[in-house]
This record gives sequence, structure tokens and C-alpha cells, in this order.
Amino acid sequence: MSAQLTLQAPLALPPTEVSPYLNRLWQDSLEGSTGATTFTLLVWEPAWLEQHLVRCGRLQGPITGLLGDDLLDAARQAVADCDLPPSTAPMDPQLAWALGRQGGDHASEDLRGRFVDSAISAHTPRRLITLAPTLDDGLPLETLVAAYRPLPEEGGAGSACGDVVVLRGGMEALRQGLGMIRPLVSQELPCWVWWNSSLDEPPEMLDALAPPPCRLVIDTSLGQPRRCLEVLVQRIGTGQAVNDLNWLRLRSWRESLAMVFDPPSRRDALNHVVQLDIDVEGSHPVKGLLLAAWIADRLGWHLVTSYHQADPGSGDHGIAAEFERTDGTTVTFRLMEVPVGITKVHPGAIMGLRLICEPEQRPPLCVILCSESGGCMRLESGGMASMELAEEVVPLPEEHEEQEMATLLGGGHDSTNPLLAAAAPLAAALLPD
Amino acid sequence: MTTILTNPLRVGLRQERVISPQCLVIFGASGDLTHRKLVPALFELFRQRRLPSEFAVLGCARRPWSDEEFRQRMQEALADEIAEHHSSWESFSQGLFYESVDLQRPEDLVRLGHRLETIDRLRATRGNRTFYLSVSPEFYGSGCRALAAAGLLADADRSRVVIEKPFGRDYGSAQELNRVVQSCAKESQVFRIDHYLGKETVQNILVLRFANTIFEPLWNRNYIANVQITAAETVGVEERAGYYESSGALRDMVQNHLTQMLALTAMEPPGRFDSESIRNEKAKVLQSAHLANEDEPWKCCVRGQYGPGGSRSRPLTGYRQEPGVDPNSTTETYVAMKLFINNWRWQGVPFYLRTGKRLPKRLSEVVLTFRKAPVHLFDAASGAPTPNQLILRIQPDEGAEIKFEVKAPGSGMRSRPVDMAFSYDESFGEPSDEGYVRLLADAMLGDPTLYTRSDEVEAAWRLYTPLLELIEDAPWQLPVHNYEARTWGPPAADNLLADDGLIWRRP
Repeated sequence: MSAQLTLQAPLALPPTEVSPYLNRLWQDSLEGSTGATTFTLLVWEPAWLEQHLVRCGRLQGPITGLLGDDLLDAARQAVADCDLPPSTAPMDPQLAWALGRQGGDHASEDLRGRFVDSAISAHTPRRLITLAPTLDDGLPLETLVAAYRPLPEEGGAGSACGDVVVLRGGMEALRQGLGMIRPLVSQELPCWVWWNSSLDEPPEMLDALAPPPCRLVIDTSLGQPRRCLEVLVQRIGTGQAVNDLNWLRLRSWRESLAMVFDPPSRRDALNHVVQLDIDVEGSHPVKGLLLAAWIADRLGWHLVTSYHQADPGSGDHGIAAEFERTDGTTVTFRLMEVPVGITKVHPGAIMGLRLICEPEQRPPLCVILCSESGGCMRLESGGMASMELAEEVVPLPEEHEEQEMATLLGGGHDSTNPLLAAAAPLAAALLPD
Repeated sequence: MTTILTNPLRVGLRQERVISPQCLVIFGASGDLTHRKLVPALFELFRQRRLPSEFAVLGCARRPWSDEEFRQRMQEALADEIAEHHSSWESFSQGLFYESVDLQRPEDLVRLGHRLETIDRLRATRGNRTFYLSVSPEFYGSGCRALAAAGLLADADRSRVVIEKPFGRDYGSAQELNRVVQSCAKESQVFRIDHYLGKETVQNILVLRFANTIFEPLWNRNYIANVQITAAETVGVEERAGYYESSGALRDMVQNHLTQMLALTAMEPPGRFDSESIRNEKAKVLQSAHLANEDEPWKCCVRGQYGPGGSRSRPLTGYRQEPGVDPNSTTETYVAMKLFINNWRWQGVPFYLRTGKRLPKRLSEVVLTFRKAPVHLFDAASGAPTPNQLILRIQPDEGAEIKFEVKAPGSGMRSRPVDMAFSYDESFGEPSDEGYVRLLADAMLGDPTLYTRSDEVEAAWRLYTPLLELIEDAPWQLPVHNYEARTWGPPAADNLLADDGLIWRRP
């Protein structure tokens, strides 16, 4: 974590004074600097987990909104203390809710919006607007403003490139402050809206903050699976540029699977897939469904049916489905939700993938991809001795949201990734009622 | 012909950086390069969704074309590509514009400035511009001056200028051109292009060296006996006689393409993968390089010129018989030379460079030959064990190959060499982008990593100054040897290595 180098101490202003102050700031105080012609980044930053951990005395402040190792350690400890299943990921919103029922009134300085990961500030946002709701619903709206530039080692040696606006207060106060946000968003620059929270939160705030054509960033690992996929599909359907960090974290899986079939000699096998199995951590299937949907879409499979299924051996819950290949052959799909002792940061991380192909006049091919952090013995069992086996270990992705967000900002995409746009509706259809 | 199935899982996986809104201004838009390389590369970027919707191309040349005429000419030139992607072309071509501009006329530059402002409003390109000088080299300096005088390079963050090769004719002219260019723009705005650096396999030299631990420990004078860098062409001078007569192989290929391969092969590992770190190391290694004998450069360099050759059914004319070539020309179409690099890593290791036209094969490669095993324990099937070699194939059949000894099957313990090969085609099966696609994108992204910095260009010219001076002042000391077309150059080039007990690799 590196601090944002603000040119001045953030200044607390009445909400009505923010726009005039910023205009004066650029016209007078920062004369000669026109600011970066990059983008506006608007962040919904409730940091409920961090706030509760601090309130309960499980984490030292200040509250920054950044995902640090201390926070993750405290969250993992809290999973056990709150009697949540061991498969509960630190970022699972259930943990914040469980902590919300625990007592404690430790206070700490709230620096949300004033600390920005160097990966993001290296992209020199023109304006960073952070909405920081507090646990105390009754707090009034506070607005803080400062000019900033990235640190010199981030390429920021020079004049100011942007400004920071923080809106902090109770939910009701923030709702009342929504009207001041639109005038702060330049119509000439792209605007990214990062919903850095669960998608289960009341939809009105998301709707108000991220109308098209804002480029929306969400995380479909945070929230009820049905709700996550609904938001994703609905937003893509409006033509809005939607980026899903959960989808982004699948990158190493998609790349690893594609690599298996890069050699031209293996490609024909993709036309003869008969079985696909995916194991995910805990009980959040969205990531696994997105991966399956991407494969199905790329290979032209048609979804016939999907239903809930329990593994007869272990009793683990899962989702089963049948696809039809373009030649009419059936492909069976199983997604198993596997309990684990130590989870990754986000719910529903992929543990392993198995793809079985039966090409004509060649031995069957079994592709197994395993997560770097764990084995995939379940997928390696089941009588594959007669098959050609291709096994790969998938490197762990970078799971820090700020890094992922920086990747998106660096890409600058002004439309939804077409692979995600195609996979999202199929993933939603795969999730049984 | 075998049809290679595409890998459907590979489609769309690349996470590419997206170019920010801008207008690309091409000077020399009526020339070959624009319709053969630049616009096809831009169309490819468009189809790969790497260009923003707020993008425009403004072609500039002296011819009085209209926007529509420019679009029409580009459409004709790209007919094959467009046939498969007609709707994409419809959309892409809306961003093509043309303005008749003579870079020597200040009033034209003023008009150009107004036109760019109009395009900014029309296409929302936000005053962000990349100027591409695809003009005759003598106009590089004056072109930059004209752009600067018109205020078009004033905003260092939102304007860049790309300059084609050759950048200068020798060390002195390169220095002078650098001085002019740098008086018009900051170094960070200047992109000196060498399209060889856009090749996937040239970039792969960096990855192979610095992403693997098995090579770098061996990549030095303790293990490597010599390095051969070859860029061979089967074609003759074709329609480029006018240019080639005044440049020759040394200026056309060695000073830029071969020197870039030399730099990437020999440079020290950069501290991090950013443009300045990489270009620092490239410049440093070129500054350490020198001809094997600078006092008597004719002893370490051989020049050649192809004569007639080919077969009775397909005869090939000699260079002097080519259209546009002086019948008494002494321009070299082949050059081979020996260099050393004075640093800890490479002291005493000879680097042999060769390039030529009308050679038997079209190929570019870097061959690192390792030192012999200190003791020969086994009989070698070929009489003596073959030294290990690492061969980096730049083109065609891009890939890499390692040669090493194994036990020949049978009851004895005889060794014989075998190849372990990696092929881009077999492993990936996807064609890589044309070099200009990568380089144009990088320039518009403001990423100069694959572009040559001023000190690099000067170091490259300085390296060959003794040869250029010799050719200028005493050409009889560096005679042009004749070689038959479609052979591996003059015998004198073989002698260059024979003196060291070596032979050129026959790929």
C-alpha cells in the first residue's frame, strides 16, 4: 500500500462548496496544470468488513478500504470465531454480517478515498470520487477535497494530475448527497464506477451511481449467486460496459485451458468433449458457472437442462447440466461445491477442472487443470487409465482488487468483453432455480 | 495443404492495452508504406478492437486527393482483407481523412492544424496526435521542424512523432538529425522505428533469456564460443534500386536490423521491464561493441555483390544488370563482419554478422555456439563431437532449437548430435501480428520500448564508422566480391570464419 501524495491536506468543505472549490483550484492555485486527460473513477467503498473488524477490535485502523494482509488475517480468524463454515472466504459478505452481530465500539481514523493503491494511481485518474458509508447510519455527510499527483516512482514527478473527492457519512446522508456527484463527473472523459461491495446491497444506490454510459466494475463473487448473475446479465443487456472482477480472476484458468489446445494436433479433440467437471471452493458457484459457460459458448454447445445434484459419495452439493454439442452428442457437466479448510480471498474460487474428450479413432483425452494451492484428487479419480492425460497446474491469480482494477483501467475497455457478454447469460441459465 | 483448425478457446483471450482516443497523421500517405503496411496494420488493430471509437487517420501528402479518394485508394489496396471483413471496413473507413500537405510550406501546416481541430471535434480525438513521417529521409529533420513551428508538437503528453528508418546515413548525420529532432520535441515524444523489433521472435529473445533460468547462467564468455547473426534474403534489389544504390546492405540491414538483434542477444538483463531500462542496456552493449579490427577494418569485414545465377530454366540477373542499377556499381548486396563486445560478459567472444540479397534461403537467425566439452570421453559418429548450439529462428519457421549430443543407438558408446526444437507453429498454430501492428499500437500508446533511442542509434552508427569511412575514402581496401546469385555469399566471407577455425552455419 502506498499513500496518495496529495498536494494539500484534504480539505473539509460543505457539499455545496465542492464544485466551486475544485473549479477555483484548477483555475487559480494549480495554474499551468490542466490535469490528466484520463478518466474519472467513482468508487462505492463501504468496506463493511474492515469497518466491523476495526469496530470489534480485531484490526488496527486506520480504515483505508484497501485489502491488506492484516485485514485478511483478521478476517480468517473471525470466520472461525463467528462459527461460520471453514469454507467461508474472507471476503464473503456473510462474514461482515456475522461480525455486525458482535459487540464492540473501537474507533479509528477513516482514510477511505485518501489511500489509493499505487497500481491505480499510476494510471493518473483525473478525478477520484469515493463514497464511504459509515456503520453509524446517523452520521451527516462530510465532503473532503484535495488535489493529488502520483508518487514520483509511479511516474508522477511533476504537476498535479487530478483531484480527490470523498463523500463520507451514513447511508441516508450519502443518498442525499448523490445529487452533487453528477456535476463532478466530466462528460468529456470516461467514467468508471467501481462497485467495491456486495451486489446484495440495495440496488437504488448502484442504479444512481452507475447509469450507462459509465463503465461499471462489479464482483460477482460477492453476493447471492442469483442476484450477482442477474445484475451482470441485466447490465450487459443495457449495452453498458460491464467488467466483472470475478470473471477477470478466471483469466489464468481460461489461458491455461487454451494453452492445452494450442498445439494444432490437440485441437480436434475440442469437437469431441463429452464431460466437463469443475470443483469450486465453498458454496458460491458463480465463478465455476462462468468458466463452464465460457467453454460452452466457445465450443458452440447448447444448454439442454440444469439441476441441483448432491455427490452420492461425499454429500457435497453441486449443479449438474447437460449440453448438446453441434453434432447432437450430449456433454455432461458437473459443478461441485467442495468444502475446504483454507479458502482463497474471494468466495467460489476454482479448485480444478476436468475435460474429457473422445475423438474418433484416437484414445480419449482427459485434461485436468488444478489450482496451484491445492490438489484435485477428486477429479483425478474415476478410471482414466486408458486415456491420454494432460495435466496442468494453474497459477494463482492476483486477488487484490486494486491490482485487478488497475488491470481494467490499463485496458481502458469501453465495452463489455464479448466473451463475458456471451458467457454471462449462459451462466445464469446454468444456475438452477 | 493441411488445414489447421483454430483454437476456439484462444479467441479473445489476449488482454491488450487499449489505445487512447487520438488522430494518427501519416505524412507520405500516397506512398507504398501507407497502403502496404500502415493502413493494413491499423485495420487489423481496429478488427482486434484495440482502437477506440474516438480514432481517426489523417493521410497527408502533396497529391490533391479528397477524403473519399483516399478511402477509395486504401480500399483498393486492402481488397483481400476487406472482402472478408466488409462491415468492419465500412466502420473503419469512416475514420479515414486526407489533407493535401507539403511539409515545406508553413501555410500548409497552419491548414493542417485547423483540419486536426475539426477532426478532434468530429471524432472526439481530444487533441491527442501521433505524427508518422513516412517521407523521404532527407525530410525527417525539416518535417519535425515544420511540425514544431506549427505548434503541433508543443504538448509533450499529447503528441508524438514516429520516424521511419534510415535514421541518418552515418554517425555524423545521425547526430545532426537527433539534434534537430530533439530541438523540436522531447525524446519521450520521438519514436524511431525499426520494424524488426515488431517481430514476435525478436521480442522472444528477451523472453527466452530473461524468463528462463536455464539459459542466462550460460549466456557469457565462459560457455559461449561464438555468435552468428544472419539475415538472408532470396530476393534481389527489386524496385528499390534508387534507394539501395545509395545505401547498400551495410546501411539497409546491418546498422539497424542486425544490430538490434545483436543488442538484444548481448545486452545485460534490465532491472525491470520498462522502456528506459531496456533501452539503457541496449545502448550500453552497443557502446561496448566494436569491429574486431578497427585499425584495419578490411580484415574483419567482407563485402559482396550478387552476380547472375539461378538455373537454366530460371536464370537470375546479377545486381549490375538490375533495372535502375549503375552497370559499374560497387554497392554491396552482401556484407559479413566480425565484432567483439568489450565487457565482462562477452570479452573475447566473436560475433559474426552477415546479410545478403539473392542468398539460397530467406531466413533470419541468431546462433549461439557453446564451447566444446573439455574432455571427449566418447567416439563421435561424425569424427568429433559437435558443439552445442542454441538457434533462435527469427523467420521463417519461427522458433528455437538446441543441438546436443546423445548416445547413438547400438552396442558401442558413440555420440551423435540431435536437435530439440520448439516451433511457434506447432505450439501455437496462430499467425503472429505483422510487426507494424505491434509497433503502431505501441507508438499510439506512448510506449517506446520497441523503438530506438537517440543514443542507441548513434552507438549503432558509430560501431560501423570505420567501415563507412573506409568505403568512402579507400574503397579498394574493402572490395566488393562477386558471388553467384542463390549461393551463400563470396568465398571471402567463408575465409573470415575459416581464419578462426569456424564455418558459417548452413541453415
